[in-house]
Amino acid sequence: MKEYVKLIDGYDDVNKEVEISRRYGKDYRSEKGRTQRIIDLYHPDFIDFTVSEIIKESVTAKTFRLVPKSGYLPPFQAGQYINVYGEVQGVCTSRPYSISSSPRQRAYYDITVARIENGFFSNYLLDDVKRGDSIRTSAPSGSFYYNPLFHGKSSVFIAGGSGITPFMSMIREICDAGLDRDITLLYGNRTTASILFHDELDDLAYRYPDFKYIPVIAEPPMGYKGVRGFISASCIENCVDDVRDCTYYLCGPEAMYDYCMPELEGMNIPRKRIRKEMFSTSTDVTKAEGWPQSLTGSEEFTVKVKGKKDVKARSGETLLASLERAGITVPVNCRCGECSLCRVKLVSGKVFTPRGVLLREADVKFGYIHSCKAYPLEDLEIIL
Amino acid sequence: MKTDNKEIVMPDYDAIVIGAGNGGLTASAALAQAGKKVLLLEKHNIPGGCGTSFRRGRFEFEVALHQLSGMGSGEKPGPLRHILKKLEVEDKVDWVEMDKLYRVVLPGRLDVTIPAEKEAAIKYLEERFPEEKEQFRKFYDFVYKYIIESFTVSRTPAVQVEREKFPLYFKYNLKSSQEVMDEFFKDPLIHLSLNVYWSFMGLPPSKLPFDILAGNIFIYLEFKPYHLRGGSQVMSTALTETVLKYGGDIKFNCGAERIIVEDGAVRGVVTEHGDEFTAPCIISNISPVRTYVDMIAQSLVPDEAIYNMGNSKVSVSAFTIFIGLDCEPGELGFKESMNLFYALQDVNDSFAASRRLDTDEDGFIVSCYTLDDPHFSPPGTSQVVVVCLKYGEPWMELPPELYHETKYRCADTLLRRVEEQFPGFREHIEEMEVATPLTHMRYLRHPNGAVYGFDQDLKDTGIFMQKKSPVQGLYFASGWVEVNGFQPTLTAGYTTARRVLKKMNGEGK
Repeated sequence: MKEYVKLIDGYDDVNKEVEISRRYGKDYRSEKGRTQRIIDLYHPDFIDFTVSEIIKESVTAKTFRLVPKSGYLPPFQAGQYINVYGEVQGVCTSRPYSISSSPRQRAYYDITVARIENGFFSNYLLDDVKRGDSIRTSAPSGSFYYNPLFHGKSSVFIAGGSGITPFMSMIREICDAGLDRDITLLYGNRTTASILFHDELDDLAYRYPDFKYIPVIAEPPMGYKGVRGFISASCIENCVDDVRDCTYYLCGPEAMYDYCMPELEGMNIPRKRIRKEMFSTSTDVTKAEGWPQSLTGSEEFTVKVKGKKDVKARSGETLLASLERAGITVPVNCRCGECSLCRVKLVSGKVFTPRGVLLREADVKFGYIHSCKAYPLEDLEIIL
Repeated sequence: MKTDNKEIVMPDYDAIVIGAGNGGLTASAALAQAGKKVLLLEKHNIPGGCGTSFRRGRFEFEVALHQLSGMGSGEKPGPLRHILKKLEVEDKVDWVEMDKLYRVVLPGRLDVTIPAEKEAAIKYLEERFPEEKEQFRKFYDFVYKYIIESFTVSRTPAVQVEREKFPLYFKYNLKSSQEVMDEFFKDPLIHLSLNVYWSFMGLPPSKLPFDILAGNIFIYLEFKPYHLRGGSQVMSTALTETVLKYGGDIKFNCGAERIIVEDGAVRGVVTEHGDEFTAPCIISNISPVRTYVDMIAQSLVPDEAIYNMGNSKVSVSAFTIFIGLDCEPGELGFKESMNLFYALQDVNDSFAASRRLDTDEDGFIVSCYTLDDPHFSPPGTSQVVVVCLKYGEPWMELPPELYHETKYRCADTLLRRVEEQFPGFREHIEEMEVATPLTHMRYLRHPNGAVYGFDQDLKDTGIFMQKKSPVQGLYFASGWVEVNGFQPTLTAGYTTARRVLKKMNGEGK
């Protein structure tokens, strides 16, 4: 300290205070690990679970009940997902699944997995994972949930197929806790056989007058008495009392969004009243809006990864999947372009980024991409 | 080159920087630019620390920057512009100058908007407060004179610093903002109109050094408040471009777990993934608490480092609501981008609320970015951030089961207060995210979710601040060891790098 400082008015008083508070002040060694412990109550880097039960929900779907090994579960908001890690055919990868159990019970998370055509990870879960197995997941995250500050009391849930899972968590919470909400669930399925949780939903609707459950079947069996077809504007208007006063939540396959969004827009539902879950199921990217006509999806390119080996990547597959197959681990959570965990810098080359990927302005400006939703269109050079 | 002699193994890097916040970024960029081999480690997946953004729906929310100080225009560049120019960031960013400092409202009693120009500010205040009319020019002249003295002192050899030459410095450097304001003004509403920068520093006027308040008043008037297109994330990412351009390595999703110390000097870092990197110099852009307590084996931390920290108190965190509106700002009556609303006329009283969960009495800021820059959100929308300062403790004590409902309850109170000022506000909300002190803790990994490092009261700022580490080769560059805010932390990283370079080149000590 410079000598003149001692001549500043008030120096002696402040200096005395400094000396006293050093002597009697906080010993910060008592803080060791504290910040991390508090963060871990909400957002641990991962959670290790035991599969305590596997419940058959339909011919093609199972619920995996996950009990934390530590005995502690972070709180979550109904509608959020966990990313499930696993090694499948030698590839370390992951898939996000919405939690289907209620956030009000704190013993386990349920995830419900339906078989999909050419499923990779879902087949692994459905066929290989047994009761008592260990599973590692991320902490819950995602922004598809009810916000009491501006969503309003009346909700319309529009679900398609296994897109019912986040709604199960919401409906279970609302019914179990007796929350003051009005819910209409429009649940679209191709056939009655693919409906999940039908008996439970029926039972809840019977017991709770503020919850209406309406299955909508595209290809119903002969003599089916319920609602047929797709979840159209007229279907919604028939089932919902005051369509202008509701917030709409959508979760299902991309085809459902493509159909339902114009219907809702046709009803003049304002944008703020429509909440969509990002859906990560791999559809054929070559059919996406803006895909370059010259490419078929099967072209193979070389990706130079700084400091690592070169990787072969197909244009029709995400860069993330190609990296994972080559044994390169990229941190990832949502796998649908939202969370930005898998962000990498594109030094050279072009990628296709489908609609709906939430890039930051700075990322666009300086060439960063979300590898989970970036498809190589030529040879690339990236920095992880 | 391979060698069996351990003694002469070259370290992997000249310097390792822990944390890609403002200070870590400018330090890395400056070192890389000077030809040093730099490794920058960042726990998060993007650079910036507080200087970041996130996406929800069609909005990209600015996390921390409300008004950038020290930029100045191209014709009259401020100190920060010089640094950003040197670090090759100036031209990569579109800067937006603001012509108002801020608007202050105490409902029913005060509603003032201060222009960002000295003479205009004086004129405005003289008209608004005729009873103490003659004081404003005196006050601003005094602030300017004080700051020039204070600046000159820092550039003058210690032996030549004398009270006769720098009377204001010697009289006021260790006074609180409240003490000095009381010398000039009686009307508490004038105090409210002028002491606004307490909110940028996280301490009430009774504790905030006048030196810091004066610095803020001076720098924002002289060099205007600025914003940048795309938000602070653009500046943060632009700084990483400079690091990469000059051959620096950056590892995201890769926090430093341990600092290796041997014989009282740093030797390197072990990452969270278990990789070890060696360097004779480590710049910590993270909290000294984590640096000393969690990252260095306890037996290797000099007692002095822990003892000196006993004087420091972890600062306040923030409770923030990020809002995307589906209408233009004018539709709800927004006229100023930076608004500060109070419930009580004494800031020292309202600051007491920062120790509680409830948000009914806090002073709070409403920043409407879209007003200054229509590109800040999509056409026909607005981006608004509502923030009040809150200590982390009540949130840390909360049972996790009660977290979400508590968060919504506190946000609801604040939104009702916003709605009183801008009727119809809630009806236009399209996207929203609420961040609590625990959110800031999660992303910054600061103790108590602090957003202003250690409290910068009189005993822990300026002349009493502990910047130097007793561990050889360990440096700090952040708001934990410097004045807080974007300009000071960006500057801190840059000056720390210069200090390190001097030492590397054998000039300093």
